[in-house]
Amino acid sequence: MSPPAPLLLVEGIRKSFFGVEVLHGVSFTLGRGEALGLVGENGSGKSTSMNILGGVHQPDAGTMLVEGQPYRPADPGAAIAAGIAFIHQELNLFGNLTIEDNLFIDNFPRRGGLPFINRSAIRKSTQDHLAQVDLDLAPTTPVARLSQGERQLVEIAKALSRNARLIIFDEPTTSLTRREVARLFGLVAKLKARGIGIIYISHALDDVMAVCERVTVLRDGAVVGTGTSRDLGVPRLISLMVGRSIETIFPQRTAPPRPSDVLAVTNLGQPGVAEAITFTIRAGEVVGLAGLMGSGRSELARMIFGLDPFRSGTIAVEGVELRDPTPARAMAAGIAFLTEDRRGEGLLMEAPIADNAVLASLRSVANALGLIDGKRVAAASRTMAQKVRLSTDRVEDTLVKHLSGGNQQKVVIGKWLMRAPRLFILDEPTRGIDVGAKQEVYRIINALVEAGSAVLLISSEIEELMGLSDRILTISRGELTGGFDRLDFDREAIMTAAAVGADHAKVSS
Amino acid sequence: MTALNPSAPAKPGAAPPSAIRNLVRLVLSEYFVLVLCAVYALAMGPFVPELWSWEVASNILSDMMPLLIVAIGQTFVLVIAGIDLSVTAIISMAAVVGASVMSETNGYLSGGPLAVPAALAAMVALGLAIGTLNGLAVTRLNMPPFIVTLATRMFFAGSAVWFTTFHTSSSSIAGLPDSFTAFADASLLGIPQPMILAVVVTVVAHLILARSRLGRWIVAVGSNSKAATISGVPVARTIVATFAISGVCAALAAVIYESRMQTGSPITGENILLDIIGAVVIGGTSLFGGKGKVLWTVFGVLFLVILDTSMKLLGTSLFAIYIIKGGVILMAAVIDTLRHRILVTR
Amino acid sequence: MRANRREFTLGALTAIAAASGWSVAAKAADNKTIAVLFDGLYSEFWVAGLQIIRDDLKKRGFGIQEAISDKDDNKQFEQVRAAIAKKVDGIIIVQTDSNAVIPAIKAANKAKIPMVHFNRPPAKTDAFSVAIQADNQKIAREAVLYSCGVAKDSGKKHKAAILIGNLGDPNAIQRRDGFDEAVKQFPDNVEVVARIPTEWDADKAFAGLTNALQANPDISFVFTSSDFLLPQIIQSLKAANKWAPVGDEKHVILTGFDGFPSAYELMKDKYMDACGVQNLFFETTLAMQAILDLQAGKPVEKLLLDPGFAITQANIEAKKDEMWGYTLWKQKNG
Repeated sequence: MSPPAPLLLVEGIRKSFFGVEVLHGVSFTLGRGEALGLVGENGSGKSTSMNILGGVHQPDAGTMLVEGQPYRPADPGAAIAAGIAFIHQELNLFGNLTIEDNLFIDNFPRRGGLPFINRSAIRKSTQDHLAQVDLDLAPTTPVARLSQGERQLVEIAKALSRNARLIIFDEPTTSLTRREVARLFGLVAKLKARGIGIIYISHALDDVMAVCERVTVLRDGAVVGTGTSRDLGVPRLISLMVGRSIETIFPQRTAPPRPSDVLAVTNLGQPGVAEAITFTIRAGEVVGLAGLMGSGRSELARMIFGLDPFRSGTIAVEGVELRDPTPARAMAAGIAFLTEDRRGEGLLMEAPIADNAVLASLRSVANALGLIDGKRVAAASRTMAQKVRLSTDRVEDTLVKHLSGGNQQKVVIGKWLMRAPRLFILDEPTRGIDVGAKQEVYRIINALVEAGSAVLLISSEIEELMGLSDRILTISRGELTGGFDRLDFDREAIMTAAAVGADHAKVSS
Repeated sequence: MTALNPSAPAKPGAAPPSAIRNLVRLVLSEYFVLVLCAVYALAMGPFVPELWSWEVASNILSDMMPLLIVAIGQTFVLVIAGIDLSVTAIISMAAVVGASVMSETNGYLSGGPLAVPAALAAMVALGLAIGTLNGLAVTRLNMPPFIVTLATRMFFAGSAVWFTTFHTSSSSIAGLPDSFTAFADASLLGIPQPMILAVVVTVVAHLILARSRLGRWIVAVGSNSKAATISGVPVARTIVATFAISGVCAALAAVIYESRMQTGSPITGENILLDIIGAVVIGGTSLFGGKGKVLWTVFGVLFLVILDTSMKLLGTSLFAIYIIKGGVILMAAVIDTLRHRILVTR
Repeated sequence: MRANRREFTLGALTAIAAASGWSVAAKAADNKTIAVLFDGLYSEFWVAGLQIIRDDLKKRGFGIQEAISDKDDNKQFEQVRAAIAKKVDGIIIVQTDSNAVIPAIKAANKAKIPMVHFNRPPAKTDAFSVAIQADNQKIAREAVLYSCGVAKDSGKKHKAAILIGNLGDPNAIQRRDGFDEAVKQFPDNVEVVARIPTEWDADKAFAGLTNALQANPDISFVFTSSDFLLPQIIQSLKAANKWAPVGDEKHVILTGFDGFPSAYELMKDKYMDACGVQNLFFETTLAMQAILDLQAGKPVEKLLLDPGFAITQANIEAKKDEMWGYTLWKQKNG
């Protein structure tokens, strides 16, 4: 007699986007009451796999079986109906509604056949589900009042209220306190005991080890290894994840960093965000900042540029302290900042290229009367377009929204290059752009640095950091946890330093 | 005006232009509203022959001047995706404050040589102050412009009536100096003075919005305030500036209204709010911010005033005029949406 | 403008097609046209006034150009200018503001178009126009005198209340003065115990009268400065159990002013003793005559008074045809 069918069987899933295959036959299984860790670098295919499982995308090939039954969800609703719940990193709750309304938002029980909501049934049921996740809160509490950890428990309660058999967690611990993490892990153990299967996705390998019996490693759209947590261990996991050597798409720099500091950050602190952060960047140097999402890497950049407040510490540019930084003051001191959210924060999407290009350097395109000179705007924008090798030189009548992602990013970079910055902070400069545009961006960074500017580079792609940086700093939970010189670059060491909890160990360089 | 739409010349080798294509191009053009004005005036000719008389044409011009000035101020606020409902209250308040300073019956500076200049200064200062107050409430308290200016609108509309009761037993302050009331009728080199003021305001506003750093900041804040912040734009100061400009424009409009009516009445301009916002929207400035030109507003005001005047000459009832104007404003909003859609799909 | 003749033609045709959809205001080709510019139609008085003017113009075969300014003095000024541009033969105006109307009078003077103010005189000015106004004081006095006579005949001494209008309104002051003149002649029969300021606000009138009736339960004589307050008065008297027709022991001697349809109905049903009536028919005739005289170059006084009349239980049958409220009431009730 054959053993009972596993809770989930995924076999040979393939998926292409725009003719490029991103999943080359992914397979894994999950038993009842089992937790499977799913790890891999960004772009390794974790999200695509999970989106297929959650009904967001449909696979091109391959089979999925849930408890032996064919499973092929056409949309997220079908996945939910099949008992598969997805707890996203950004929680999908309505802050302005109460817990009970969130739980039943898409399926309010009616009173008889009448179009009235059966409040008492909702309250009773919500209380039961909250008890199952050990959350002692009134069903009528507005979600906006809950902490991040409590919201996550509400999401889990919501999954349970829909009879979930399989729950997928995506980076569940990034915004939790240690105590909340411990509570979450306790709950996951309880869910497993009830026979619910767990897929656990995280960059925090320690957490993966703590929660999961087995781990599957993805790289470049394929499974490169599966094993029990005990057999694998963190170092082996990391080498499986990284796998290959750095490709030579990174252009070489000839000039070494110069001795003078462009940026000196001393003891920068803001409760809950950053703690005693101290580092310098020299002229002609690229410093990479490695950290997980929510580690404080973007926040640090925003503090230096005057977008976010900080309580203690100093920032000095070329030896002069930047007091009460605002973006305007930071810019005056020679700082430029490329934000990670290109569309939301970087560009005026509805405006032409030229208007975006000169926005940060309006004074330089004004005439003697202080009026903006259209000819100068056009000339400056065209020069910029050539410098960053933009796909079009019709800078005055091409709207930014009609450009590709890579060209949009070049506009943002070009806008800042116009100011000839001394320090360029780049937060995820190559996110969502194609390989060709990536290389252009790398080339621009190198040219800038060779001319004597300093760069602070933030990236989720460790390869990119290693290929471009002279030094790499790691940040975790608001603290710098390591520093590596170019000669000492070691992928695993860097990832370990970036992935550990700050209270685990101070990894020294 | 040599080309309708310089940015979209007909492509050589494209399909032969059809009436529909041309119509689409016309609707997309910046000068669409101006063309509409001409077409409308032509079409109404047989029904209202007076529309083409010199007298009515000059009436149209003089009627549109004060409206134009406030509408230009409103344009600035709409470009940052705000709205200024308080402009009519600023007009009322400025009218009675100005009258209380210069009135020859019991003004503060009655008969003095400085009465008129001081009154003008007080009116402009008042507009600036209320506008700045609106801007600060929006930026410091992070309140929506709609609510802020609704509140200041009610407050100052009420204050204007209350203020009047201290200066007259009648419902409005009369006895304004001749040197002030002459302004509305007098001409300089054959051009009516209110028109000179309006032209100056238009030119200055155009230079600010299209050619100055502040103008670029205003457009940037209206299209994406986060991107503006990160580009070093002083977002809060820019927002305050637009409301201040709107306030000053409203006060200048009050000067023309008051001189024209020879009376400081606390209900001056009370009913023109929808004309103001309607004219700006008809011109093509987007209520969603980030897009607007002073010239568009000139065309929008012109169209609304021509429409209004022709209806008056026809003897259409006031309520029918409201209905027709409402329909036209709605149509303008629909065209704006269509224009967006066509531009996106091209 | 380049290459858009086609669009132009197309647009023009569309616009003409659209424009021909609505009816063009009838224009009396060879006859006179009078512009009638009202501030607003706030009560039956103004509605009736406008209707009576319309009827009169129709009878004469004159054209009419109507406009309402809806409390916007600038708009009214623009309406006057539109009327001037239209070369009307005369302007009848109910202005929004007595000061702000002066530029409009000046503009009419300049265009040599006679202007008549209907029921609201302008502020003092050198500009020339004619104002038609009811002789409020006389009309109020006559009506109240009749009611005082009723009080005397009853042989009792009556306690009286007056509802006064907005003291910023000269009409309200004149009506109060007329009332005072009348009751002074009957010191033994009528004693004024309550003077209620209403500021032309119906709610204030109701509250004021209700309070007065509580303070002086024996009030048996009420004068209102305008008939538009009658619904509130009726409600208040009913609440005090004093609503009864003439002859009943509980009857309160009631005197109105304006001559509303509701006042006629109360007269007919014998709840009201007398009502001062503004003679809108006569005022319209006065206004038209003033315009015709001015056009003919004859001199006209700046203020023309409508003597009005008091309609009483004694003369109601003889006089009701002159009462505008009756005409309206008749139209409504067949």
